[in-house]
Order: sequence, then C-alpha cells, then structure tokens
Amino acid sequence: MTTTMDRPASAPGQSRRSKPLIERLNIFTALALGAISALVVWQLALHFLPQLPDGQQYFNREDKITLLSMVAWFIGFMTGIGALIGPFRWLMGKDLSHDENMFYAGKDLGVKRYFRYTTDHKVVGIQYLVMTMLIFFIGGTLAMLIRTNLGHPQGGWIHPQAYNSIVGTHGIIMIVGTIIMVTGPFGNFIMPIMIGARDMAFPRLNALSFWLIVAAAVPLIWGQFIGGITTGWTAYNPLASQAPLGMDGYIMFICIFAISTMVAGANITTTVIRMRAKGMTWNRTPIFIYGTVASVALALPAFPVFFLSQIMSAMDRALGTSFYDTTHGGSGWLYENLFWIMGHPEVYVILIPAVAALMEMAPVFARNPLFSFNIAVLGIAGISGLSVLVWAHHMYMAGWAPLLNAPFMLTTELISIPTGMLFLVLVGTLWRGRLWVTMPMASIFALLWNFMIGGITGIYLSDVPADAFLHGSMYVTAHFHYTLMGAGLTGALASLVYWFPKMTGRMFDKKLSWISFWMVQIGFNVAFMGMFLVGLAGQPRRVETYAKMFSRGNLITTIGAYVIMAGMLVLLHGVISSWRHGVKAPMNPWQAKTLEWSVANPIPLENFDVLPVVTADAYGYGKAKS
Amino acid sequence: MSLDTEKTPQWWKKKDVKQTFVIWVILTPIIGYVGSTVQIRSMGAPASETMASVINLMGLFTWVAAPVAALVGAMCLTTLLTKSHYGDNPPHEAENEIRNSPRANAIWVSISALLCLFALVVGLIVLQKDAGALTDKAAMNINVTGQQWVWNYDYENGARSSVLYLPVNKPVVFHVTSKDVKHSFWVVQMGIKIDANPGYVTETAVTPNKIGVFDIRCAELCGLLHAYMQNKVHVVSQADYDAWVKTNATTEAAA
Repeated sequence: MTTTMDRPASAPGQSRRSKPLIERLNIFTALALGAISALVVWQLALHFLPQLPDGQQYFNREDKITLLSMVAWFIGFMTGIGALIGPFRWLMGKDLSHDENMFYAGKDLGVKRYFRYTTDHKVVGIQYLVMTMLIFFIGGTLAMLIRTNLGHPQGGWIHPQAYNSIVGTHGIIMIVGTIIMVTGPFGNFIMPIMIGARDMAFPRLNALSFWLIVAAAVPLIWGQFIGGITTGWTAYNPLASQAPLGMDGYIMFICIFAISTMVAGANITTTVIRMRAKGMTWNRTPIFIYGTVASVALALPAFPVFFLSQIMSAMDRALGTSFYDTTHGGSGWLYENLFWIMGHPEVYVILIPAVAALMEMAPVFARNPLFSFNIAVLGIAGISGLSVLVWAHHMYMAGWAPLLNAPFMLTTELISIPTGMLFLVLVGTLWRGRLWVTMPMASIFALLWNFMIGGITGIYLSDVPADAFLHGSMYVTAHFHYTLMGAGLTGALASLVYWFPKMTGRMFDKKLSWISFWMVQIGFNVAFMGMFLVGLAGQPRRVETYAKMFSRGNLITTIGAYVIMAGMLVLLHGVISSWRHGVKAPMNPWQAKTLEWSVANPIPLENFDVLPVVTADAYGYGKAKS
Repeated sequence: MSLDTEKTPQWWKKKDVKQTFVIWVILTPIIGYVGSTVQIRSMGAPASETMASVINLMGLFTWVAAPVAALVGAMCLTTLLTKSHYGDNPPHEAENEIRNSPRANAIWVSISALLCLFALVVGLIVLQKDAGALTDKAAMNINVTGQQWVWNYDYENGARSSVLYLPVNKPVVFHVTSKDVKHSFWVVQMGIKIDANPGYVTETAVTPNKIGVFDIRCAELCGLLHAYMQNKVHVVSQADYDAWVKTNATTEAAA
C-alpha cells in the first residue's frame, strides 16, 4: 500500500447488478452466519453427543454442547464478517487487487465502512471508541445495580445468584473496557499519524483485532442467560468448575479476547518499530507512543497465559481433565498462578497508556517541555519489567508458598520507584509552566490526586502483615478502582477530549466536559473513600449483604456512584452532541507539536500526501528548543 | 537567559520554591494526621497483638508517605495558584529552561528507593514475628474446616463446634482446610487471614488478648451464600473456656 490519494476511485464496477462477495459481507451477514452456525452445531451436538451414564460429572455433556455451539458462533461470525477472504484468496494464489484493498480500507464507503471489516486505522479507532463507550455503558449499568443493591444492609432485591453474576460480569467487562480504552481508540486512530505513518503495519490484522472483540462479546451475553458468571471476574477454580453453564461463556469470551489482544499487540509493536517517520529516532518518539507500545508489549506475554488458563478450565469442565481438581492430582493454586501471571501485568496494560497519554498532554497544556524524557521512558520500562515479577502478591494469603511472600513483597514495593518517576515527570512538566486550564489539564491534577491515593494504599496492601487484614476486603476493591478508574479512566477521558477534534473534526463542548469532569471526579472520590472505610472496618468483597455497622459507608459509596453515573451520562451527551453539531475544529486547536496535529481535518485516507521528516522531538516549548 | 548571578538567585531563594516549601510544611502534618487517624479509627479496637501491629503499620506508613504526597500537592498547588491561564487560546509558551535536572532525578529516585527499603524492612520484621507464632510449641491447635457456607471448628480434645471459642491470652494455631471450594478464614479484629483450600491444610496463628465476641468472615467468593458465611468467635477466660469445652462442645458435635 504505497499509493497516495490520487488513484482513481473504484467506482465503475458499482453499476453491475451482482456485487462480488467481498462487497456483500458486513456485520449483518456476520451475525446471521454466526447465529446459524451456532444453532446448527447446537442441534447436531444435542443429537449426536452420547448421553453419559449416571454418576458421571453432571455438567460434562451440557458443557460440551455449549462450548461447541460457541466455537461455531465464533467461526461463523468471523467468516461472515469477511476475516477469511484475505487468507483464502492468498491460498488460491489470487491475492487482493489494489482496488479491493482500497475497498477494504473503506474508500468512498461513507458510514457503511464502520459496519464492515474495514482496514483503515482511523475507522478501526472509531469502532474501538464506540465499542469502549458501549462497554462502559453496560459495565456502568451493572455497577449501578450492585451499588443500588448495597444501598441498604439487607440488599436483597437481587437474587444472590444474579448478584454474583452481575459482580463477575461488571468485573470482567470493565477490565476489558479499560484494557482497550486508550490503546483501542487512540492507539489505533492517533498513534500511526503521530509517528508519521500511512496506516498500521498489518491493516487486516487491525480489523481482525476489533471484530474479534465483537465476536467475543456474544458468548459473554449468552452466558448471562444460562446461569451467569457467578465466580467474580477471577473465576477461581474449583468454584468455576462447579459454576453453571454461563462459565463457558466467560471462557469463550476470554479466549477470543486474548487472541484479539495478542493480534493487536503484535500489530502495534511492529508498526511503531518499523514505520516511524524518517528522522523520528527513539529519542524523538513521543512519550504516548512509548506508553502504547509498553502496554501492548506487556500484553503479549500475559494474554497467552490467560488463554491457556481458560482452555484448561474448559477441559476440566467439559472433558473430565483435572488440571485444577485437587482430588484428582490437580491444584487450584495452579489456576491462581496462571491467572495472576496474566492479571498483574494486565493492570499496567491498563494504566501505562493512560498515564502516558496525560504525559503527552502535560507539555501541551503547560506550554512547557516534558520534564526529563529519559526518566519518563525509564519509568515506563521499569514498571513494565517489574510488573511480570509481582503476581504472587495476590496470593499472600493463599497459603501456596509462605516462603515466597517476602521476595514478592520486595518486587511489589520496588514498583513504587518507577511509578514515582512518572509522578516526577508530570509534576516537573507542570512546574513553572503556564497552565492552560482545560479539562485535560485538570485531568492531570486529578490523576496525580487519585493515583497518589491508589499508590499509597497499594503500599499498605503490598505489606504482607497488613495484607493479612486487608486482603479480600472492600479496601482492595477501593484501591484498584483508584488506580484503574481514578488514574486510568481519568487519562482516557482526557484523551477523548484532547483528541476529539482530530478524530471527529469538531471541538468537544467545553462546558459539558467541565461538568462531567467535576461530577465524575467528586462522585468517584466520595464513592471510593466510603469504600476504603468499610473495608478497614472489615467488610469483605463481593458480598450482597453486610452487617449494619457498614451501612453508613456503603450509603456514601452508593451516593457517590450515582454522581459518577450522572457525570458519565453528561459526558455521553457531550460526545453525541459535539460529534453531531459541535464547533468545527481548526487543524491544531491546542497548538501542540506532535505530528497528528499537522494533518488537515478531515484526515485523508492515507493521512499524509508526503511522509513527514522529523528533526526534533515534540516538546520544544518556550526557550527550550532542542 | 543571561548568566548574571544578581538576577538569578539561588534556587532555594526563588519565590515559587519558598511558596512550595510553606505549603509543604503545612500539608505534611495535615495529610499524616488525617490519613492515619481516619484509617486507624475505621479499623476499630484490636483484639490481638497481631492486629495492633497492623494498625501501627498503617499509621506509620501513612506518616512516612505524607511528606511525599504533600510535596506533590505543594508543587501542584503553587503552580495552579500562580500560573493558571483561562480562555479559548493557549497562553504564551513558558520561558523555562528546565528540560531535565539530573540532580532532581537523583534525589527523587534515591528518596523513593530509601522509602521503599524502609517499607520492606518494617514489613519483614513484622512478618518474621507472625511466622514465628506458627511454630510456637505451647500453642493450642484448632482445625478449621470451611464448606459452603459454614465454618466448623475441631478442638484438641475431640470437641467440635460451629461457633469458635478461644481462651484469652493463649496462643492458638489454626489448621485451615476446605471441603469444597476455596474460602478464606478471616478473624477480623485479630488481623489474621488464610485461605481454606480443598485438599490442603494452611496455617495461621494468633494470641487473642481481649475478652469479647469478635467477627469471623469468609473473605473469598465461594458461591451463592458467600455473604452469609460468617460467624462469631467468643474469647473467654481460661476457666470459662475449660467449662465450655467440657459441656457444650460434645453436644454440639452430636448435633
């Protein structure tokens, strides 16, 4: 794809009555083919899978049928969306022509390209953005159900099984939502332009990674109707092996999502390594790019382990293996290890790009160079490196290896050093700057506040004796909401407002961005301060009812949660109204110096007519030209 | 900028540095006091040495973290109060020559490394004490079995109960296991917790030092009625304990 925009459009073929297959496939054919495949395989499995004699494990046959139907859905959906056309044509020796590639890139397709297997990174970025908002909408609704149920000590209007399922589903989809919230929309839309590239290294893999998430979502929803995900997002065994069939939905969801993350990780890493503009040396590469690459590169070793842990879980359920079954030689501790070997790098997969995005915005809104680029890179690298060595701090109280508690306490506390470097960079950039007070600038302060609280409470939790009290309590829940939501989501929302003009061509409504900022931040701090207090008083996590002594703290949290909800709805209104009829954005509304602000609105199909040449880094504000 | 020393005072004499210092001095005790007091009050009165040391740890860590948090807060406040610009257009670019400061980096990293080391050493000392309690030969042993969704306690003399009774000031080692899924045995006011795993026995130890009734809760999601998997521990005098073991335990075991 080395062409420029000036090629003639592929219009002539459109007058023909019979369209080629490639032009027929879209999300509707995908949904239809997925549903048909699932139904057919379900019926076949129902008729041909042998009945088990009495005394065999109860769920075995049903699990096989469910998993087979879900795999059929997956294959049907991906075929229906057109993911297989490229590889198939290549196998036949008839690789896609230039016009077909342009069609795939969404040329002249208008709105339709958002509902197809489109390879243009800008389309994929918008698709990810809408997907992320949808996930937060659903996950937020579930959170409100949880908080409403906990508004009163008796709770009780949600059945315990449904409640547990809501907690588990809220957990896993918010984790997925926060994993994709920065690297999905902004990593795909902004990152290639920021490094001066025309598209991603592998545009078709880019489309694949997005549509895999859509394919993954359906088993999760499906799972809600066959018993739900009653195990929490961690799905510990042996609880998961006795959980209802909804667990198979969780397993399929994770497996498909893990593939999506691996594909996206390989793609983004390759793009950044191979496709930076001429002259963009590593020292001139913007810090957001470092954050994105660190995040996806961290996911590369982590998610195969997640994938594997769920395959083994599925085998235990459906095929009678005993990886996690103590009575037959397995161990639940094996699952916990596999899960957290993914699980701890994964929280930094969420956090790093959000902090890096704010580090990218700090120089722009402080009109000041980024303080100590090298320390920023070192901090990101240090967190990434250490994060794969800390997983067993989730298992201090598991009894698995008491002797390892001390070394894991060491590695966990060491992470505070590179984390401190990120604070230094942010504060150093603001120091003696000229602060342009906008919502992204306020978000930097909000991040420093929330992440400080999340970080310090993390030090208490990393301390084994204190963790003996705090582990499994609401304190932990409040802590990781402070890091993932207080720091992570704050960065993502700031990114949305910051890059909105480039992504949509319109400015984000200033007033609405401020209203939602204050409501979300105040509501958030009220909600999770209350949660810290009930955790310290001894309320366990994931309970649907609690002792009367916790009622005040829980009421505070519930009130805070409603304020967050209102703030997020204001934000949603802001997105929709600004997108539809906001003020048209100039090319560079923030007067920033990174490359994405040097292309016109709307951005042409392959971004640059002439690829840019970079001669300095993007932080030459004030006198400090470099 | 010229190198004229008269116009550029040494860094600690600059106005914003002085302002930051004042705010830092004010903020540090406020953060330390509020942070530690609120947390310690929420944790309630301890019922064992172990819990008392957890409370001390939380207070200590909060006070040690306070100057760091206060420094970040003071620098933010100074900047925000003196350098803010509002409006639709960006202000002029800052006339700042600080792109990097090896000295600031070195100091910052050294201090965070020292604080990290401090947290580690304090943690290790307390951890060592807790680990030592497990091998106390004078301790009494109680087997704890979790199952969905109750706890059962087996005492050394063969007695069994579903509500825990402990004599005050006597070390006790809990041997914890589970019959079905993973649970977590949490004696809240005594500050101990250990998971109950099916097929394995895990251990934790404590010496209750206060007579009273305290809470035991399951701290690991264990299915439908996880929220209800809690009961009480009665800490009584040695004489009351001996009497209780003789009379009550056998009847409860039979039930």
